[in-house]
Amino acid sequence: MENQKTGSPLSQRPDSFGRFGRFGGKYVPETLMFALTELEAAFHSLASDEDFQRELSGILRDYVGRESPLYFAERLTEHYRRGTGEGPQVYLKREDLNHTGAHKINNAVGQALLAKRLGKKRVIAETGAGQHGVATATVCARFGLECVVYMGAQDMERQALNVFRMRLLGAEVRAVHSGTATLKDATSEAIRDWVTNVETTHYILGSVAGPHPYPMMVREFHAVIGKETRKQALEKWGGKPDVLVACVGGGSNAMGLFHEFVDDDDVRLIGVEAAGLGLETGKHAATLTKGEVGVLHGAMSYLLQDDDGQIIEPHSISAGLDYPGVGPEHSFLKDVGRAEYYSVTDEDALEAFKRLSRLEGIIPALETSHALAYLEKLCPTLPNGTKVVVNCSGRGDKDVQTVLKYLKD
Amino acid sequence: MMTCKLQLGAFASSSNHSRQQGAPNKVRSCLMVATDDHQDTFFKTNLPTKLAKTYVPTIKPLLEKELQESNNNTDAPIINSGKFGRFGGKFVPETLVVCLSQLEAEFNKALHDEAFKAELAEALKDFAGRETPLYYARRLSEYYKMNNNGKGPDIYLKREDLNHGGSHKMNNALAQAMIAKRMGRKSVVTATAAGQHGIATAAACAKLGLECTVFMAAKEMEKESSNVQLMKLLGAKVEGVNGSFKDAASEAFRCWVGEMENSYHLTGSAVGPHPCPTMVREFQSVIGRETRKQALEKWGGKPDVLVACVGTGSNALGLFHEFLEDKDVRLIGVEAGGCGLESGRHSSTLATGEVGVYHGALSYLLQDQDGQIIGPHSIAPGMEYPGVSPELSYLKETGRAEFCVATDQEALDAYERLCKLEGIFPSLEAAHALAILDNLVPTLCDGSKVVVNCSGCGDKDAAVVFDRKLFHGKF
Repeated sequence: MENQKTGSPLSQRPDSFGRFGRFGGKYVPETLMFALTELEAAFHSLASDEDFQRELSGILRDYVGRESPLYFAERLTEHYRRGTGEGPQVYLKREDLNHTGAHKINNAVGQALLAKRLGKKRVIAETGAGQHGVATATVCARFGLECVVYMGAQDMERQALNVFRMRLLGAEVRAVHSGTATLKDATSEAIRDWVTNVETTHYILGSVAGPHPYPMMVREFHAVIGKETRKQALEKWGGKPDVLVACVGGGSNAMGLFHEFVDDDDVRLIGVEAAGLGLETGKHAATLTKGEVGVLHGAMSYLLQDDDGQIIEPHSISAGLDYPGVGPEHSFLKDVGRAEYYSVTDEDALEAFKRLSRLEGIIPALETSHALAYLEKLCPTLPNGTKVVVNCSGRGDKDVQTVLKYLKD
Repeated sequence: MMTCKLQLGAFASSSNHSRQQGAPNKVRSCLMVATDDHQDTFFKTNLPTKLAKTYVPTIKPLLEKELQESNNNTDAPIINSGKFGRFGGKFVPETLVVCLSQLEAEFNKALHDEAFKAELAEALKDFAGRETPLYYARRLSEYYKMNNNGKGPDIYLKREDLNHGGSHKMNNALAQAMIAKRMGRKSVVTATAAGQHGIATAAACAKLGLECTVFMAAKEMEKESSNVQLMKLLGAKVEGVNGSFKDAASEAFRCWVGEMENSYHLTGSAVGPHPCPTMVREFQSVIGRETRKQALEKWGGKPDVLVACVGTGSNALGLFHEFLEDKDVRLIGVEAGGCGLESGRHSSTLATGEVGVYHGALSYLLQDQDGQIIGPHSIAPGMEYPGVSPELSYLKETGRAEFCVATDQEALDAYERLCKLEGIFPSLEAAHALAILDNLVPTLCDGSKVVVNCSGCGDKDAAVVFDRKLFHGKF
């Protein structure tokens, strides 16, 4: 794990209270405080535990299929070549090739191993579209842990195939009917379960959100993405990336790519959120652009809330970006100006989905398509030969029905 | 059928061809295209072994020179007559013989071109995601050891499911698409059964900027509509053909023959006339090569047993080929037993078939007493093929490889077992290989190393499995 450097505002990420500047923290009921402290202590001790690290690397290599390649997208690069023949070079970090088809598994595997070390026999998780649920059910099967996944009843209907998958993997999928019966309600239910069963149960949070130490832990388990990217960039062109681009829902894939490079001032960090039907319509999930600071799910961060402080139901064509909050570290990076955040509409994301499929034979997840869509605005501004690395955070087989339905309408 | 309508009933004129020495020209007449009504029966009868000699055709001087050069290259492992013992060959009409020879020459040239090999290796690494891991399936191994006092083999999975496209098919599709580009072709045609090969081909063509047309049986298109949608999203044209896979394959050939200057026929499986089985096997053999290296790294030795499912045979050959000369490595292929061999609804070609010519090669195939092809059945669409690779037929005949059978139900059980124990969805095809572990494991000694080719990812099959399991009240 990282050494705490002193001096710069970027030094303590997070500090001992779990804060990133004014964001983060541990806004949870008293019953959970001990569990969080225990979790944090366990996590830090495992950081220096060689056996644990070796076991984790082995699993990432043989089970998950790492390292994921850093792929030069030749035809996409050509697409952005200007009339003069100049343009940036676009590389894709292929998290889509991971077992289960997305970056989610990096964290799920780390946390399942951690749960085992803690002697926990039971694991719970929340899921929106099902990707994190499937990743969690997957690792629980692999490690022989009991698994309960909370999912909004509405989401369960929309994502029946993911529900089958979780059940085939041996997990119990519990429907949540409260509130709007979507992700944020499932998260609340999962937290409630954890409060009740904290001695026997580990809660695998799916993103860099939630109370400390989750944002830090989840980031650390995904940081392998950025570490590999640094090594591969050096091998491929003898330097560093100039720009990193990633989609931001909760923010885990973005933190996974960015973290390694946060202290490299010459590397630009760009996060892309979902503008849904357009920022002006109010039907979007662009938390960092349109949100205000508040507390959600145990952490202080930007979130989409109305004047009464009630959570606004977000909208995005991609379920994984459909979250009204965002990881506290992203809120921090935005505030100190270290990272830039933009947003892209459903329509632009769909175009990017089709574009990558046709130009590179890679079908990206709709979430990832948001990052790819931003290239349209970004590339014309970049000097010749700039190295851009886009996190291809997931594959899009799961989104084909949605895309076709949208295109037909 | 490799017939071309233009050639029906015609015999190629021999006057302006120079003959190769010793080539039996009388044999040709038997192999020429018959008329439409008889063609199916003609090509599907049991051929007596003495007719199973391939006529090696005359070739244009330019090509001959190229073949000569390839021949002179002493480390040319590929050039051969396309025979595996008595199996294989090139039972095709005259026009196709020339194209196939040209293809063979290109293939040989590419494999001796270091630049091409480096480019292919990089594409396999960065685009397809190779190497694929050799994964120790601890919980699966322990599951079997539990019933035997903690003793039993160690089971490893070769993770072809992690390839881009979700199966081993990409290894071949990518390599051949690169050959097509190298040859200056602008478009690729191919045929696909369930769609896995079609998807891999469409993806490779998109990456390389080649046009892609995929022929598929119309009824398969309905069953596998999500695969069809994926191919279209990747920019391919998907053409429906009435009939089954063999008809789609014939259409693909027909389309290619009509457009030979600009298009390339990309064969997906280790069947068909020479050089197709050899090309596909060569490109899939990366699986076995990696396995050897990884086995050495992991346990300092070789695998003891290799297990793979057999539809046409490409993933099996890909795993086995590297180890053919290692007599201490046992090779086991598992075919689709469908509803059981007695039911007659299965695809167990090597177990129950007879030798005949199909799709341009002599091999085992499922035919009835009148020489009519029996429609195969399996819950795994990629295994529903009435023929099998000639090379596998040869391995069966020489006893180098053993072949057995797993039923639909056994495959479904194996699918669920791997999900629950390892969190991996095998394709229904690969599930057949996993199914026979039940019978195999008790016969193996403690600590022996079994490598099963997990040839594809079974996400796509989850709905099918779920529906089937539902009937047993499991969920």
